[in-house]
This record gives sequence, C-alpha cells and structure tokens, in this order.
Amino acid sequence: MLKTIQLDKHFGSHQALKAISIDVKPGEIYCLLGANGAGKTTLINLFLNFLQPTGGQVLVNGRDVQQYPLESKRDIAYIPELVMLYGVLSGLENLEYFAALATGEKLPRDKLLSLLQGAGLDATAADRRVSTYSKGMRQKVGIAIAMAKNAKALLLDEPTSGLDPKAANEFSQLLTKAKDSGVAVLTTTHDLFHAKQTGTRIGIMRRGELLTELNSADVSHSELESLYLQYMEA
Amino acid sequence: MLSLIARREFTEFCRDGRLFWTGGIILLLLLTALAVNWQHQRTADAERLAAQTLDYDDWVNQEARHPHDAAHQGMHVFKPQSALSMLDPGIVPYVGSTLWLQAHRQSEVKFRPAQDATGLQRFGNLSPAWVIQMLGPLLVIILGFNAFAGEREQGTLRQTLSLGISPYQLLWGKALALAIGLGLLLLPTLLFAMGMIVFTMSGNAMVDALWRTLWLGLGYSVYLGIAIFVVLAVSAKTATSRMALAILLGVWIVTTMIAPRAISDASRIWHPNPTRYEFTASLDNDLGNETRKAWMENFGSDQRWGSEVGIDQWGKALEVDDKAGYKALDHQFHKLWDTFDSQQRVQEWAGFVVPLLAIRSFSMGVAGTDFANHRDFSVAAENHRRIMQDKVSHDLVEHADGHGDHHFDYKSTREFWATFPKFTYALPDRKFALAHNTLSLAILVIVLLAAMVLAHRAVMPRKA
Repeated sequence: MLKTIQLDKHFGSHQALKAISIDVKPGEIYCLLGANGAGKTTLINLFLNFLQPTGGQVLVNGRDVQQYPLESKRDIAYIPELVMLYGVLSGLENLEYFAALATGEKLPRDKLLSLLQGAGLDATAADRRVSTYSKGMRQKVGIAIAMAKNAKALLLDEPTSGLDPKAANEFSQLLTKAKDSGVAVLTTTHDLFHAKQTGTRIGIMRRGELLTELNSADVSHSELESLYLQYMEA
Repeated sequence: MLSLIARREFTEFCRDGRLFWTGGIILLLLLTALAVNWQHQRTADAERLAAQTLDYDDWVNQEARHPHDAAHQGMHVFKPQSALSMLDPGIVPYVGSTLWLQAHRQSEVKFRPAQDATGLQRFGNLSPAWVIQMLGPLLVIILGFNAFAGEREQGTLRQTLSLGISPYQLLWGKALALAIGLGLLLLPTLLFAMGMIVFTMSGNAMVDALWRTLWLGLGYSVYLGIAIFVVLAVSAKTATSRMALAILLGVWIVTTMIAPRAISDASRIWHPNPTRYEFTASLDNDLGNETRKAWMENFGSDQRWGSEVGIDQWGKALEVDDKAGYKALDHQFHKLWDTFDSQQRVQEWAGFVVPLLAIRSFSMGVAGTDFANHRDFSVAAENHRRIMQDKVSHDLVEHADGHGDHHFDYKSTREFWATFPKFTYALPDRKFALAHNTLSLAILVIVLLAAMVLAHRAVMPRKA
C-alpha cells in the first residue's frame, strides 16, 4: 500500500535519503525510528509528493505519486506532528471543512461530533474556536479528520509527541483499530515503547539510511532499546 | 468543492473583522459619494434647465436691435449631465459644462487637459468610480494578501494539499471568496444607482442609463478580477504573508499613484498639446489668413473691414468673414482635440501595465463623461452658433445692406429672434459609448486573462 523502491533524495550536495525501500501492507503498522535528521519526515513528504525524489519511486496503492499526485493523496490520511487548523473556526467547523474537502460530502453535525468524540475530544470543546485549543486538542481534531477520510493508508509524523499519556494511549488504540480494519499505517516516532506496543514492524533509520527492519513481535522492549542504541552509536 | 473553499475563506474574512471594517468603511464611502453626487447632479440639472430656458427667453425677448448686436449677446448653451455622472463624473468637473455662443469666434474649451488629471488632483473629487478604482484593489489586498502565504505560514496549506486538493481548485475557491467580498461592495452601489435611475428617469433615457450601469458593473468586475488574481499570485509566490503585503502595497502605490501620473506626463510628451497662448496665437493666425483670402476673393482687397468695402456690403462682409473663419476654427479645434484623443489613447494602451488607466477611461466613457462626449457636445454647440451667425448675416444681407449708408439703422424685431431654434442637444447614446470604449474593455479582459495565467503558474506545484 505504501511503498518505496530504491528511493534517493538529495538536497543539493546533502543526501537525505539513500536507497530506501519499504513496503507497508494493509493491516500493518510500520514504525520508523530514528534521531532527528534521520530523514523520516523527508520520507513522509515524498509520500505526499510535497518533495520530488532524486531517484527511485514512491507508490501509494500501486500508483506513482508523481504521476498521480491528487489520486494518491486521496488514499492517504496524513497527521503531522502539529496538526494545523484554522484558528477562527471551531474544531467542529475545521473537521467539517477538511472532511468535506477530503470526501466531497458534508457530514451531518452528529456524525462530526461522534468523530471528534472517537478521537477523544471533549464534546464541550467542539464548538470553541481552535485558537483556544491546546496542542493535544488540535491533534485530536487531526485524528478525527483522518478518520473521517476513511483512507486506505495513514501517514503519521510523530503524531503522539505532545500528547498526554492517556491521549497517547487512546491514540494507539485508534491505530490498532485502523490496522484491524485493513489500513496500512506508516508512522515516525521517537517513542520506542509506543513502537513496540502498537507497531507490527519497525524500521530504524540513521542519516538517510534504513539500517534494519524487524517484526515487533520478535523483540522485547529492552532488546529493541539496546538494538536502537547500538545502531545510533555505531 | 469551490464553494466549500470559498465559504471557509469568506467565514474567515467575516470573523477576523477585515471585511466588516475595511469593506464597511469603503462601502460607506461609496454610498456617500453616490448620494452626494446624485444630489449634486439633481441640483445641477434643475439649474441647467432653468438657465437654458432663461437664456433663450432673454434672447427672444430682446428689444428691436441691429442683429449683429444681438449676435454679440449670443446664447449660452449648457451641457446636459449624463445620468451616470453620479457614478463617474469623469472630466466634467474640469472642462465645465457651459459654452457661450458668441459672434465671430468659437468659445475656447478650458485648456487644461483635464482627462489627464490624476493622483492628487483627483483626490479632491470623491466619486464612487474613484473609490472603486483606488480603494477596490486595496481591499482585495487586505483580504487576500495572506490567502496562500498566510496559510503556508500556518501550515494549513500543507494540511489542505495533503487531502488531495488540487492547488488550482484552491486558487479558484479563494478567488471566489474574494469576488464575493468585493461583490458586497460593488453590488449595493450598482443597485443603489439603478434604483435612483428607475426612480427619477423614464423611457429610453432610463433604459440607456440602466444599460450603462450594467456595462460599468462588467468593467469594474473585470478590473477587480485582475486585482484578485494578481494578489493571489503574489500571495502564492511569496514565502511570508508579511512579504506578500509589502510587495502588494508597493504594487498598489505604483499602479494607482505613481504610474498614472507618469504615463499622463508621458502621453503629453508624445503628443504635446499647445499652451493656451500658443493655441490662441495659432488660431488668430489661421483666422487671419483664411479671412484675408476670402476678402481678397470676394472684395478684391485683403484689408478686412477696410474702406474699400462699403457699408452697404457690411452684411455680406460679415457672412464672408464668418464662413472663412469656420474652416480655420474647425482645423484648429479638431487638431487640438485630436491631440487630446491621442493622449487618451496612449493612456488606454498603458492599461496593459496599469489597469487603472484602462478602467478609468472605460468608466468615464460608459458614464458619458469622457472627452469624446465633451467633444460631441462642443461640436453640436459650435454648429448651433454657426446657425445663429448665418441667420444674422443672412438677415443683414437681405434687409440692411440695401439701406446703403443707413445699414446700421436697421433693427430686427422679436419675430426674427423667435425664429432662432432652441439649442436641443442630447448626449450620445450607449452605442457611442461602447464604440469608443471597446479598446479599453478589451485591454482589461486581456490583462485579466494574463493575471489568471500568472496566478495558475504561481500555485503550480513546485518541481524540485
């Protein structure tokens, strides 16, 4: 579903990605681990066609994202580290707007409210302007937008950073639910615990290279941690 | 999808108060200007009618007197105001609307080429046209400068594009929102104007004025459309909304304040018009030549009003002298007016770079307050003057010249004064206006298309 083939990306002389090949299948949660600057966000941007690859290919649902920039995005729901919303609109209006843009239909209010609730947003906050929201609340609206889109794939760029533990836990449950319904999930994270807990597969990146891939079921949390540190220090 | 994007954008204009405050103030200005101009126009119209009637009464009620004395009294003619001068008074405030039809000589039009008046000169003259021409684009800037740049800063642009929305859809949605915002200014103004037209006019004149209002609406829509797409293009191309605002304000100042003035000066350099003094001197010279030639042909002497021609030929001499002068007057005035026309043409073509000049020209033209209309009136007034002169001379030839040395004892009476026609002049209809303004409208449409292309290129996804 989310696939790259020998993907290279240069920024001038700097090589941000080196021959990355990953393949996230429906029903998988693929966690990309790596320090800042490892190229995780660059990879996400390539999936969204916000950046063009220097070499190799990016495929979403079997379609090259450069050839099908709009179609491929319609198969993806994207939640960035900081979900950006319109401050003068309420959370509900933001959801209504983005969901309508994504799906082409206007959802009724009760549907929107249940989506927000499903994402963990307090119902009393739904009609307040987003400019009064905390980061976590914005994040929840972002999740609701992604849910409303009913996409085949989720692209998540450190989605839980800044969420309180309870919210992060609820979020993990949502991801698992999505996975169970056959959604392919690619998420970047610093959170080894989260990766081990919810991920089905884990990739470790460093300076643009994918060093290793493993099934999270095959490692314990402490093994993952020592492996990660080992790779980072190498 | 478009209406969705437009509605969200529009909600933002409303909620952050930009539309209410800026748009509200401009709308208030527009309607005030319209109401004041309308009031002014009604008073002026009533005065004109009264004055025209009084003046003709004065003419008809003259005592018995020598017709040439009467010709020296002459008549005054008053230019009717176009109904749409309440929207765009054009050059009317600068050229005046009264002409004295006197003996011997065509009255001189005021000499300042007022259709070139720009910038500060126009500041003193608040008209709805001025408000839309100057402040319309400014409102577009205030509403639209952050359309793309601001969303890029906020990150919402990324959020939106990640949904698989085409940037072109976004562009058109935003353009639609701006158009609705601007429509909230333009529409009430046009409707208000149309209401006053329907309320105070009737028949063909009303239909004509309504058509003109619609044409004005079209012209201004195109003009503001240009502003919308230019603003969106700049907003899409600049990294920050602050930068976009700075650039757009710069463009606004140059294209509404500096360039029109400069191009007006340039048009006078390319097509210099004579000073009043030069014109008078040149006209005197031509009149002298033509009349001397005619005197030579008719009386065998080029000494005008010399002793060779007896008083018993005084009427004939007047006729010969006047008719010879017509040629010189036509030549000189049309040369002068053609120069003004050429200057005007330069400004219209400059509309490709400075759309304000094209819309200003189109607006005045359609409102019937431009130089072409003024010229039409001046020609009609001069024709009327000639009818009067010819009648007077003819009367003298018929009745006074036969009195020999007693020529100047001849007096005409009221019956004769009453045979002089009233000056009835109607402003040219809308066909005249459209025929004279297709160029400026075409230029505006072309610039609009260019602005659309520019905006499309600006939002095009960037290639790495």
